[in-house]
Amino acid sequence: MTDWTGMRPNPSPIRQWWVLSVRVIAPSLRNGELLIAMSLSAVFTVSLYLPLKNLMAAFVHGSYAQYLIPVIALLAVYFSAMSAALRSSTDTVSGINRRFGSMPIAPMTPVAARMSGNLYRCATALATAILCGYLIGFRFYRSAEYTIGFCLLVMLIGFTLCFVGDLIGMVSKNPEAMTFILVLPAVILVMVSVGLQPADQFPGWLQPFVRNQPTSQFLYALRACAGDAGHSTAAVTTLNIAPALAWLAGMLVVAGPLYALAIWRRR
Amino acid sequence: MKSATHDDALQGRLPLYDDTSSGLDGRQRSETSPQLLVRQSWLQTRRLLIRWRHDAQTVILALVLPSMLLVAVNLVFGKPVSTVSGTSALYGSVPMAALMGAIFGSTAAGVNLMREREQGLLTRLWVLPIHRASGLLSRLTAEAVRIVATAVVVMCTGFVLGFRFKQGIAAAAAWVAVPAIFGVAFALLVTTTALYLANTVLAEATGMVVSLLFFFCTGFVPLAQYPSWIQPVVEHQPMSYAVEAMRGLAFGGPVVTPIVGTLLWSAGIVAVCTAPMVIRYRKASMR
Repeated sequence: MTDWTGMRPNPSPIRQWWVLSVRVIAPSLRNGELLIAMSLSAVFTVSLYLPLKNLMAAFVHGSYAQYLIPVIALLAVYFSAMSAALRSSTDTVSGINRRFGSMPIAPMTPVAARMSGNLYRCATALATAILCGYLIGFRFYRSAEYTIGFCLLVMLIGFTLCFVGDLIGMVSKNPEAMTFILVLPAVILVMVSVGLQPADQFPGWLQPFVRNQPTSQFLYALRACAGDAGHSTAAVTTLNIAPALAWLAGMLVVAGPLYALAIWRRR
Repeated sequence: MKSATHDDALQGRLPLYDDTSSGLDGRQRSETSPQLLVRQSWLQTRRLLIRWRHDAQTVILALVLPSMLLVAVNLVFGKPVSTVSGTSALYGSVPMAALMGAIFGSTAAGVNLMREREQGLLTRLWVLPIHRASGLLSRLTAEAVRIVATAVVVMCTGFVLGFRFKQGIAAAAAWVAVPAIFGVAFALLVTTTALYLANTVLAEATGMVVSLLFFFCTGFVPLAQYPSWIQPVVEHQPMSYAVEAMRGLAFGGPVVTPIVGTLLWSAGIVAVCTAPMVIRYRKASMR
């Protein structure tokens, strides 16, 4: 009699993660997805900086490029989260998640692999955004630690939003329509924030929302990390950074159990 | 008539339209007749409209999001733009929201077309004795209906914010027609692209083109605000023409030039895209 138990594969989770990550990343080099991720940052830079530079000169002190680049990095990350949702939704609809479920793979491995693909895309988008920023006059005015802090914070936001995007994608049944549904609220959230103009330019009744919504809190933290030429932005203090981190922690605390529930219900 | 239908059903051959006499012999109206084209296009248009109406995402995309965009744009840029240009920014932002609604919808319709191709619906329709042009024609008609609905909703949101028609009822009707013309031409472009491109790239690529059209448009920020080297591009791109035409029809100002510009752009898109679209649609249907 054959010893069936002896034939059970004993896969290494790390290698599985690596194989599945390559599955996500390799096609993005070929099918133009990466190219689009990079050009999105460039398109945002050009299409916000050129029309608004003159218009906002009266309201924004200092260089508008310095004011704008954090929001462009954020937009790039928001769009990465949307493509994360599209990817996870496509995986669900095309049935490969079900297939993974029947194989000796830990339940979190495909998720981890998708997330590393998403972080890779976030990093590319961030690098392009900073490069575009340097071309129009953005600079990091504080020391190297703060520059690293800026990048880490963007990546952390990217991680959280991509995780939420992955969750939304997993429960959505219609990948393409979902992307459009997510784009506009994200764009509106960015517009009604301190991203393009200071909060005091909004009508009084809206200002509390503008100041406290997550996008603005992220922007306060990022601007503090980047600094500016006249040293007029607030210094990096707990007061600047803590709300941003609290929003991120809150999102993860809500999304984590929901994610577990979604995985558990699918099995 | 009734018994003939019954016999046909017994033989496993179901009548395809209820007004034709029995069988597929010479007396039947030809599938290329213009009368059938109208009837069948309308039937398929209704199919698409019913589908959209039942899909919450399409409804939100067509009716809710453009108004949200308008409100947001007005909150953020309304004050500075009105200050700079001297007239209310709404006469630029309301048309732009209507046009953006038209564009968003046609992108969703392009995605929908690709899904129907994957599911084999196009092939299925191709083997039936249906007028060959009705498939494409119905898609464009359905687009026009949806765009007019979007424009009316955006217009009403505009009324709440303070937008008014100062040129009378006829101009208001023409105002609604401008996004329909522009939107159908754009739908033609998206349909052609959808038939040629891969699924994932389409959404993001059109998204990028659309945001460029949006941000470099005279409805977003007055022309003088752009750097002078890019002003000619901003002034002559299709969406600026459409916005200016709609501004003229609602507020006043030059109307003929921007309308001619919109028509020329639309005609240009139709001229370039029609042949490739028809060829590719045929191919997609015969797979």
